Amino acid sequence: MTVIKPLDINDITDPELKELVEKCEALGVPGGEFPRIVARMPEQAKPLLRVMLLNFNEGNVDHRLKEIIRVQLARYSEEPYNSGLRSIKAKDMGLTEEIIDAGSGDYEDSEFFTESEKVALRYADQMFLDSSKVDKELYDELKKHYTEAQVMELGAFIALFHGAHIAMRSFGSSQ
Amino acid sequence: MTDPDALDSNYYDGLRELLSDDEITQLGIFLCFNAGYHTFFGTLKFYPMYSPDGRIVGQEESERLYGAAPASLHSMAAE
Repeated sequence: MTVIKPLDINDITDPELKELVEKCEALGVPGGEFPRIVARMPEQAKPLLRVMLLNFNEGNVDHRLKEIIRVQLARYSEEPYNSGLRSIKAKDMGLTEEIIDAGSGDYEDSEFFTESEKVALRYADQMFLDSSKVDKELYDELKKHYTEAQVMELGAFIALFHGAHIAMRSFGSSQ
Repeated sequence: MTDPDALDSNYYDGLRELLSDDEITQLGIFLCFNAGYHTFFGTLKFYPMYSPDGRIVGQEESERLYGAAPASLHSMAAE
């Protein structure tokens, strides 16, 4: 049970926010519970949920890669709610649990990933585990595979969802 | 932020004596997303755009002025 109770969907009176919360749940990520908790602050919840949906579902970085990174970060955070969520879009694009598990494990030696995907996974795990290792050399390596816009999209995505994972870990989860 | 597991129900009960659940949510979200973004921004090596004497400076000069250590510009804030 969460220490901060998610609002019942019928208690969300702002139609725009209600639609956003329903979209978050329908897409699988960020699911239903987190959006209904942040719905307690409706004027801030709307831009927050919009940017989470935009950053995760759109942009110029492969959605499947972002889903693998999202689960990797949630598992590193030992955060059950986000670890248990799955993007329906990524699943429809062919992402399997086997590939997701490989992304949270020894991805450097995995045959599932290209070199560019491995660099992105390294960026995420070093950002989480020891951000002092996210240095010029790693950014130079990223730039061999991605545009600067894509690197910023990845960095913002990691920061945003890492923040959500810490929040759900501290608020607790019913999952 | 360093140990979210330490924020147990007793801690939240204490917070509830001072803040509503809506306010606790707002505070928690503010702290958590700042933690995420500060980590990311820290890897980008931003330096202040103003020198200690108030000049607009480029990133290279700012790096020379401020070095690697984080610096608070609080003392230079406008009155």
